[in-house]
Amino acid sequence: MLNSSLFATVAVLSLAAIPASAQAQAARPKPNLNGIWEYIGTANWDIQDHSAYQGPLQDLGAIGAAPAGQGIVEGNEIPYLPAAAAKKKQNFANRRTTDPEAKCYMPGIPRATYMPFPFQIVQSPKDILMVYEYASANRAINMGKPIEAPTDTWMGTSNGRWEGDTLVVDVTGLNGLAWFDRAGNFASDQLHVVERFTKAGNDRINYEATIEDPKTFSRSWKISVPLYRRAEKNAQLLEFKCVEFAEELLYGQFKKQTSK
Amino acid sequence: MSRRFLTSMSALAVAIGLASGQVKSVKTYTPPKTPWGDPDIQGIWPGNMGTPMQRPANLKDRALYTDEEFAQRQEQARKQALTDTQEFASENAKVSIGPPSYWTERGKPTRQTSLIVDPPDGRLPPLTPEEQKFRKEARGGRGVTGEWRGEADSYEDMNLYYRCISRGLLGSVIPVVYNNGNQIVQSPGYVAFRNEMIHETRVIPLDGRPHVGSSIQMYMGDSRGHWEGNTLVVETTNFTDKTSIGSNGAGYPGDPGHHSAALRLTERFTRVDATTLNYQVTIDDPKTWTKPWTILIPLAQNSNYQMIEYACHEGNYAMGDILSGARAQEAAKSK
Repeated sequence: MLNSSLFATVAVLSLAAIPASAQAQAARPKPNLNGIWEYIGTANWDIQDHSAYQGPLQDLGAIGAAPAGQGIVEGNEIPYLPAAAAKKKQNFANRRTTDPEAKCYMPGIPRATYMPFPFQIVQSPKDILMVYEYASANRAINMGKPIEAPTDTWMGTSNGRWEGDTLVVDVTGLNGLAWFDRAGNFASDQLHVVERFTKAGNDRINYEATIEDPKTFSRSWKISVPLYRRAEKNAQLLEFKCVEFAEELLYGQFKKQTSK
Repeated sequence: MSRRFLTSMSALAVAIGLASGQVKSVKTYTPPKTPWGDPDIQGIWPGNMGTPMQRPANLKDRALYTDEEFAQRQEQARKQALTDTQEFASENAKVSIGPPSYWTERGKPTRQTSLIVDPPDGRLPPLTPEEQKFRKEARGGRGVTGEWRGEADSYEDMNLYYRCISRGLLGSVIPVVYNNGNQIVQSPGYVAFRNEMIHETRVIPLDGRPHVGSSIQMYMGDSRGHWEGNTLVVETTNFTDKTSIGSNGAGYPGDPGHHSAALRLTERFTRVDATTLNYQVTIDDPKTWTKPWTILIPLAQNSNYQMIEYACHEGNYAMGDILSGARAQEAAKSK
């Protein structure tokens, strides 16, 4: 903390002293986040510490089980307000039919980042797109003058800016219907997420997100995951249009019953 | 090979004429370049509704409206725009279950008499005998799912658009009544083409890599791009045979409709002036149509257009309502 502010002060002083190098600093290329990225870990099952456990459908045998994992939440505690803590438990109990992932709904932010699917960053000097393989979800990050969310959406409204070498994305207008994981961790439409993408070498991005939602949590909290470059020569996003895998779950009860 | 070359040349000649509004001497527009030297085609490029896929037969080989006809169409569009802004239907007006008129984004009329610019009569080439048979016999003689006549035994009776799965590659661009936004973002080695409805993005590699293996099939296909001068050329293969070509990719009656998995699309993106991106596509599917055909959609840049998330499936209350309504009707009848 002390070190970084000292460094900043020195940097500012030297910029003031040598205008030519200040210009060079301003024109310095931004970190290049282009690529296909994927998180490796179990956060999509549960963002908190968890042992392995049986899946919601025993018919699937061991295939449906959740792998054990260490959480991605700083301090491992999600500071739910009492009513929200009860709702989280209920979500977990009913997850087979109520998890938005089971219904193939858009993953929301931050879950899109750490789902077990690749996503691609397309970074131009003006705009940045994040394109997710899961459910063809995508978002454009506005790097210009910040805009107000026109309406609440699953993926929210993203305003980005560079803080040094970190891409900071402020996400508002989230409808709060997406969950954080299959364990039923959730938020409300008051959710506000501030994400930080920091390149760590050529093939890794450190991702952090600060989460606040006064309707659901007593304070803000933080998650962090590493994202790894998909380095296969032929790496590309394929399609996971999962609607057709969710239709029987969602609408099967309304199908005409045949007497066969 | 030579046939395809000739086809694209004649379509290009028409395209140039259309873009300038009338056939006259052609000035070549040089687009700006990205910092890494590719032609810059980035921006928000919504489509304009109102040009039919096929040309009315009485217009024959006439690809463009006359000045007088074009003025009439502009006047019609002006009146329609006034009506569209009404928040409430006027008294005694016919009201349907469609969206309110102020949702609509019809855009500006163009001089084009049809989206199809090749064959020169603006009409679809004939279907192959194989495809005629397929369409007749589809779903036990009920036709492909786009020709939906109220069957509601299962969600599978609905087309892919009603099911919110995909509108397919062309259905995602062909302008309809709303949510016609398209966005292009470029990075070194890639062009991303993003379509507002139903939230599709193709990230197209430009590095000359081969297509994915033939057992991988995708609704939006597998795209590879390269630059030919200032034109981005994108070849797409590996399609499923489930999507349709036409409005919303739904396979509605009168649309080009169902295609086979042998479909190969060649898209050409060319900036013909500062605010017009010509989007020309050659549809080559020898199992479905007896020869390739080409459409042209001029896309107009609109940096004020805001693309908004189209959460189709997430809000698809209609599907459950249609199916449960059908079951309720059956129960009432059997009483």
